[in-house]
Amino acid sequence: MAVRVVLADDHPLTRAGISAYLAQESSVELVGEAEDGIEAWRLIQDLRPDVALLDIRMPGEDGVAVARRVKESSLPVSVVMLTSYDAQQYVLASLRAGARGFILKTATPEEISRAISTVSKGGFFLDSEVASAVGERDFAPEALSAREREVLIYASKGFSSKEVAGQLFISERTVQTHLASIYDKLGAKNKTEALLLALKYGVVTLEELLE
Amino acid sequence: MRRHLLLILTFAILLPALAVLLVSGLGLMRQEWAMESFARSYVQDLAENVASLLRTEGFSRWGGELSALEIRNLRIFTWGPSLPGWIAVVSVDGKLIYRSPGADSLSDILMGMNIYKFLGSASEIKNKDGKLYTVAVNPVSGGTRLVIAAVEWDRLLGPLVRVGRLWPVLIVLMAIGILLALWAMWRWLIVPLRILVDEIGTLQWGKDLPVPADPAAVSEIGSLRSVLYRLARTAVERTTLRNRYVKDIVRVQEGEKSRIARELHDGPIQNITAMIQQIRLSRMEHQNHQTDSHLLLAEETAHVVVRELREMCDELSPPWLDLGPEQAMTELADRLSRHFGVSVTVEVDDSLELSREKLLSLFRILQEGVSNAVRHGKASEIRAEIFKKDGNTVFEIKDNGAGFDPDMNYETLRVEGHRGLANMLERMMLFGGKMEVSSKPGEGAVIRCMLPDIPDFAD
Repeated sequence: MAVRVVLADDHPLTRAGISAYLAQESSVELVGEAEDGIEAWRLIQDLRPDVALLDIRMPGEDGVAVARRVKESSLPVSVVMLTSYDAQQYVLASLRAGARGFILKTATPEEISRAISTVSKGGFFLDSEVASAVGERDFAPEALSAREREVLIYASKGFSSKEVAGQLFISERTVQTHLASIYDKLGAKNKTEALLLALKYGVVTLEELLE
Repeated sequence: MRRHLLLILTFAILLPALAVLLVSGLGLMRQEWAMESFARSYVQDLAENVASLLRTEGFSRWGGELSALEIRNLRIFTWGPSLPGWIAVVSVDGKLIYRSPGADSLSDILMGMNIYKFLGSASEIKNKDGKLYTVAVNPVSGGTRLVIAAVEWDRLLGPLVRVGRLWPVLIVLMAIGILLALWAMWRWLIVPLRILVDEIGTLQWGKDLPVPADPAAVSEIGSLRSVLYRLARTAVERTTLRNRYVKDIVRVQEGEKSRIARELHDGPIQNITAMIQQIRLSRMEHQNHQTDSHLLLAEETAHVVVRELREMCDELSPPWLDLGPEQAMTELADRLSRHFGVSVTVEVDDSLELSREKLLSLFRILQEGVSNAVRHGKASEIRAEIFKKDGNTVFEIKDNGAGFDPDMNYETLRVEGHRGLANMLERMMLFGGKMEVSSKPGEGAVIRCMLPDIPDFAD
């Protein structure tokens, strides 16, 4: 059965492009198109798609806010953010709002299809351009210790080092040592990259992040 | 010398005044001695003369001693100017034989005393009314009688004694007057002047206002203060105006940058993205190798353009600034870290709320700060922190670079084309904030910006 998709983007030309991509793909069925956030939310509620492709910057309500609505309503809809911007913080904001995928509008049709199919199966998808900016390496998920995983999850939820230290009853210095070790193991330069890589390598899951 | 002029002035008044007091005091003592010796020699002469007269008269009459009646009949005391005192004749056993008119209570005192101690040397004594006398005793030679002569200072040296009494009073009054004048000068002139000088010394021109009046100062200082206050107020108004003006310029500039970024994002970036999608769709349909390679080149070119436009947007006014202080600053730190290949971290206080304008300023300061630290300081690690402290938002950037001399003049740097620090300072001043730079060559640098939690000027 084809994956049912709702697409929201305020720019008609890009919307046309994406819908043309999706039309080529037999495993995907585009069931609705919206040109702003409010209409997108209405379509999601009405049509109950499997996947919602949402532009981040839209009039009315932005994509992140719509993703948050979906998360709060507990609708079984997987959200993929679609954007022109490769800002890692957009990725982080999207993930915190409950999105499971993040792709750039310049992504190839294959990548968009892969994103839709990955998230519809409950996976996490990160655009290859964003991911390559983060940098990849061979990585075994076991390489992170349980404590390091814990520190990374808390840090990714937006807690400062001091707050993480308070939550885990360890010193701030220890938190920083753990973070440095995490960055080193993952090949990340900062917290955001570490989280994206950890999600990508399956070290942590989106569910753990959203708990 | 001129620094201590007021102190010198005080001493210039005080020292001559003390000198006058001292000299006057000495003069008074000298006058007292002179009057004393004059009165003594006078009274001794008087006693001697009377004694000698009594002896001559006594011998010429009967070769014996004169009785009281006879002495009175000599009329020696009615000759010439009236006597400024009195004389008495006593027998050696102290019995009074005669005393001249005018002898007062003092003669009774003397009768009760051993008058032999006055023999040969005159001495001063006071009567019951407190009047001062000099007394001399002379024996009538060959006889058994003594002549007592006493002169009253007031009558003998009248004006001199009065001057002698008045003079100390005048001196004391003068001393009190000088001290009062000095106290007044200190209280109403010197102290207010010093306060004013201190106040001017710490006054930040264009920012602070002095106290407009000082009721405890002379009116000239009051006028000086009000003039200073007016000037300072003008300077503050000018600074405010300038700040508003600069702020307007910055706001217009930033507004323009945001507008261009938005238009780039909503127009060209979207359109070229759509173009890329269309090229891809064409490539999917056209299997011709030649056409495909042209289309691939077009697609790649369009990709490059999108990336360039995105970078331009980020330079101008990144849309991700809307994500809020923590995420915007973190994104910037990550980007700067990638761009310069150094470690840039930023910790942002969760509870922090900043207007978009203030956030934009901190954003530009971090850009500038990291760029300076890497390019000039060759730093490899930059740590930034934004937190709240005492009602201020504090933004601290520390680096491990080569450091520099923090006493450099921003104006000189600006003229030399290094606008970095001056720009940062300017952005802080727009919001009434401060910027401190501490650094030592070889020890990295710390830039600390403090933004007061007050609404923006023109808001």
